[in-house]
Amino acid sequence: MSKESLCNEIYFNKFYSSHIQSASNFAYYKSGDKNTSLDLAQEAFIKIWENCAKVDFNKAKSYLFTVINNLFLNKVKHEKVVLEYAKNSPYLDINNQSPEYLLEEEEFKTKLKTAIENLTEAEREVFLMNRIDGKKYREIADILTISQKAVEKRMSSALKKLRSKIVGI
Amino acid sequence: MEQNKNILKYLNKELSNDELKQFKNSDDFKTLEKIAHYSSQIDTPKVNSEEALAAFKQKTNTHSKKGKVIGLNFKQLYKYAAVAAVLLTTSYFLLFNNNTNIVTEIAETKTFNLPDDSEVILNANSTINYSKNDWDENRNLELDGEAFFKVQKGKKFIVNTTIGKVTVLGTQFNVKERVNYFEVKTYEGLVSVSYNDTLLKLPKGSIFKVVNGKIDSVKTFNVNESSWLEKESNFKSTPLYLVLDELENQYNYKVTTKNIDLEILYSGGFAHNNIDIALQSITIPLQLSYKIENDKIIIFADDKKD
Repeated sequence: MSKESLCNEIYFNKFYSSHIQSASNFAYYKSGDKNTSLDLAQEAFIKIWENCAKVDFNKAKSYLFTVINNLFLNKVKHEKVVLEYAKNSPYLDINNQSPEYLLEEEEFKTKLKTAIENLTEAEREVFLMNRIDGKKYREIADILTISQKAVEKRMSSALKKLRSKIVGI
Repeated sequence: MEQNKNILKYLNKELSNDELKQFKNSDDFKTLEKIAHYSSQIDTPKVNSEEALAAFKQKTNTHSKKGKVIGLNFKQLYKYAAVAAVLLTTSYFLLFNNNTNIVTEIAETKTFNLPDDSEVILNANSTINYSKNDWDENRNLELDGEAFFKVQKGKKFIVNTTIGKVTVLGTQFNVKERVNYFEVKTYEGLVSVSYNDTLLKLPKGSIFKVVNGKIDSVKTFNVNESSWLEKESNFKSTPLYLVLDELENQYNYKVTTKNIDLEILYSGGFAHNNIDIALQSITIPLQLSYKIENDKIIIFADDKKD
């Protein structure tokens, strides 16, 4: 058994701490449900802990996300995704305080939020992992065990949909 | 296409400063920038990783203490229970419920002994079914077809057929059950035959016959006359179609007829070892002719010459 085993509690704790947030986020992108996302991530970690001997340390990360995906497919009923903006988040142009500008931006944000909520699950998870978690395409591809090309394709199609919903209508 | 690539690069923060400057001048940059900016402000439930880890540890501790404990797995238990049940039932049938089935094909006879040494000779195209298990207590068998029995003395011996039931104590007799035909011949002793509501004692040398549901009055026959046991079939005032049925049982031929009254009564017999002689012994007395074509026999009326 290699030294870096997830059965070793020190390694496991490190693995847990570095991925629990993005795992919870990932569950949230899929379900759009704040209340279940952390539970889903916890459950996935329990699965990994129980099967620690079978999980290759180097592949543990993508395994984690795969487990979350499966748990989500098995457990969570597909409900309407509801997203929210963070409170007090800054506008793009922080110096412009004119009421017209603020109104315009608010309108844009609402449209954008609805458009993201209406993306397909595959598009949304890739898009938000990039935007919110700041993950590079390569990393997303590894996590989801798909090719980078596939990630880029999902990004493009997500952007296309968002733009046409915001500008087009 | 180029623009699309740049957009992807922009979101992945892969554009160089020069490229970025140029890209900012493109038409739809404003919208893209807004999308990029505001989409990253979407709120996700913040996880306190220390608290979450503590909660996780608590959960796993209740799951398993000191590594892994494999709990009593009821699914596994059910599996074993199911296997045990299957083994028990199959071994029961194999060891205790020994149903014996003896079958003869067309043109085949079989001689065998029952568990009490009673002798059975099974004629062609017939089946006997009995349970070895409690034979001494329950001498009971099912017959489909024709068989000769030489029964050892003992408890009641019962032959069940779909048409009638034959009960004896210890004798020799022949039971024949074919389509619409039931016949019992007693060679020795006394045989009790029950057919529908009729119960009949059949002494040595008598025949009981039911043809098409009608009881033929009890007749006698010569106990010493040859029968199918000596590779011959004998008939007494029997409708022709039953004779032909028996012929099909003894020879592997399909019999068809042309312009013949099949109800005509036939007395006589045919041998089991030569189809030509057998056919002659049936057709000549009735003034019929026959033809053999491959595995078919055609029987037709003689041309009337007069």
